[in-house]
Amino acid sequence: MATITIDGKEVPFEQGDTIIRAAHRQGMEIPHYCWHPGLSVAANCRMCLVEIRSGRQMNMPILKWDSGKSSFVPDTKPKLQPACQMAATEGMEVVTKSDHVKEAQASVQEFLLLNHPVDCPICDQAGECRLQDYWLEHQTTLKRKQSEPVHKPKAVRFGPTIVYDAERCIMCTRCIRVCDELAGDHVLDMRQRGNKNEIFVAPGRELDHNYTLMTEHVCPVGALTSKDFRFKARVWFLKTKDSVCSGCATGCNSHVDYDPRYNQVQRLRPRDNEQVNKHWMCDKGMVSYHEVHEGRVLMPLSSGQVGERTETSWANAESAVLKTLKGANGDRVAVVLSALHSTEDNWGLAQLAQALGAKHYLAARPDWKGDNVLMHNDHNPNRRGAQHVANTVLGGESQNVATLVRALQAGEIDTVVSLGPTTEGEAELAQYLTQHPGKATLIALTANQGPLSDAAQHVIPVASWAEAPGSYINAQGLSQNYQAAIPAQGQILPTWLRCMNWHEAIKGGRPAATLADVRNALGTLGTAPPVSPEPQAQAGGL
Amino acid sequence: MAILVPQPNRSLADQAYVPAIAKGLGQTMRKFFKNTLSSKKDIVTLRYPEETVEYPERFRGVHRLTQRADGSPRCVACLCCSTACPAQCIHIEAGEYEQGDPRHGYERFPKVFVIDELRCIFCGYCVEACPCDAIRMDTGMHMPPSTDRSHFIYDRETLLSIPGRDGTHESANPRHEPGDPSHPGIDRDRH
Repeated sequence: MATITIDGKEVPFEQGDTIIRAAHRQGMEIPHYCWHPGLSVAANCRMCLVEIRSGRQMNMPILKWDSGKSSFVPDTKPKLQPACQMAATEGMEVVTKSDHVKEAQASVQEFLLLNHPVDCPICDQAGECRLQDYWLEHQTTLKRKQSEPVHKPKAVRFGPTIVYDAERCIMCTRCIRVCDELAGDHVLDMRQRGNKNEIFVAPGRELDHNYTLMTEHVCPVGALTSKDFRFKARVWFLKTKDSVCSGCATGCNSHVDYDPRYNQVQRLRPRDNEQVNKHWMCDKGMVSYHEVHEGRVLMPLSSGQVGERTETSWANAESAVLKTLKGANGDRVAVVLSALHSTEDNWGLAQLAQALGAKHYLAARPDWKGDNVLMHNDHNPNRRGAQHVANTVLGGESQNVATLVRALQAGEIDTVVSLGPTTEGEAELAQYLTQHPGKATLIALTANQGPLSDAAQHVIPVASWAEAPGSYINAQGLSQNYQAAIPAQGQILPTWLRCMNWHEAIKGGRPAATLADVRNALGTLGTAPPVSPEPQAQAGGL
Repeated sequence: MAILVPQPNRSLADQAYVPAIAKGLGQTMRKFFKNTLSSKKDIVTLRYPEETVEYPERFRGVHRLTQRADGSPRCVACLCCSTACPAQCIHIEAGEYEQGDPRHGYERFPKVFVIDELRCIFCGYCVEACPCDAIRMDTGMHMPPSTDRSHFIYDRETLLSIPGRDGTHESANPRHEPGDPSHPGIDRDRH
């Protein structure tokens, strides 16, 4: 493969690569603001200037201050090139740490901070801000400007999700390019020039497409802030874990940022994966973490009569559930798998269904309106995983919940074990159960409160996707693992583990004792889906 | 095996002890008469608590929160102080200004600001870290003693009510509020 030399190191590149992309692939960072690996090249921030020593030299005549002579003397200086725009060519010799480059970086940095308000204490970007990082790393001097900086509008509402601060903006145009190139909606542009330059929303429009939070995500400074996250947390308190978005069948890779002091998930960020979501996530996915904390069931609930629900102890709840399951006739038990839970969870429940000899169904959220970018029409992260488990463990596709309601109405079922939160057909099922008390017993394994948990005789809380590791099989057929971010509260267990406990109590023996066992067992089921490759390591953020 | 211990080489005066006692008592009596009868007293004891020593100017006393001109805290709840705190004794919950307030959408304020003065080690890092000059230790007071632990949990109102050594609640560093005539303005058309 053809190579270029960056600071004496051989760096391979592909045809059409720019210098910065070749360096980025190797994990070498050339400082930059406006360049983003997923966007077109703007080359307007001038932070990535490098010296190219090979080929035809371009030297510019300059006047250099000579302190010995106390006057300017003629000198030359190499013409620096933006690494984000300069195509790599065979044998190119690039220097990123020469004195000329360092001087240019320091000057660019000083220029960008000329009118900056330095309101870091009230800025949500503080702690992950390029201006802060590069000021420490590359700016050699303090600010020399003494006069009052130019003031521009602050806290401008761009739309339902984004607030803009023009004073902090460095005009890198990343947000404009995200709207143009990712969402295909030219809703942002810039107006004025010089130090009055600012981003604005097209007149009569709002920033309201499906990828508005990506504008905030790519903003290297605190100019764009999301209403969902702003004023909520300081980023240096947050820890992060790798996860997969549970919003739809695309299965975008994400970072879960959580506060370990309060075990609270604070936001999601896209995690780069060229095969799935590249660098992006949609707005609905970005705010999907709210379900981890909103409407959670934390203790088992039981009801003597419909409508009356009381918290009960784990021992009581489990013995009641086991009594119901042991006394049930296997033919008249229905187990409802969930397209919202991990393959591991569904496998655990399927083992229980097999032990009981139960019929199986699949609960899923109804389709939503996808787009051609990332949002899939299938609103469920793991429909393929659940069906894979049903096909291989239980021998056949699972029917939907409407079929279950018909079977209940026909009197074929009297015990239902259901997994998962709000799904299609749930309202009908709940309605049937509340209208025909005593006809059927519902055991709901769920993380969130919903119509089904309100109608169930026994509610057993289970770990959500943020609280236990697992995997989803996305629409492409890739099995993607995710990590647990926060611990589950109290005695809440992952669904598969809870099912293993019940399996042991009902039939004796545990098909799997650890998550590794579950994954081994899944690996031997039929044709195992390909596992998504681990995303490449990033060099110090984007 | 016997070990030969060297004999201490004492003079007769040392061995008699009396001259040393007389010397020591002489010193005591000299101080006694100097501090009671003479005019050149060098006594340093104070009648505490009726009399107190003025602490040095840079003494790190009990914390206070400085106020703006309208009496609200200068603090913007950036959490820099609680981040810098090695004793982790500062607890802050941030709140957002009401709709219509000139500071709405622009900055936050501390809904809850609690310092556990028993945990505090009075290192002054919080003052150092504060970018808004909102927290200061220039009160010149040490913590008043108490037999109840809860008396050492200083909440926002307590911290705001403690004056500085000069008796005021503000700080010497001016602050430009958005909307003030002194504020450069947030509207680009004015410039």
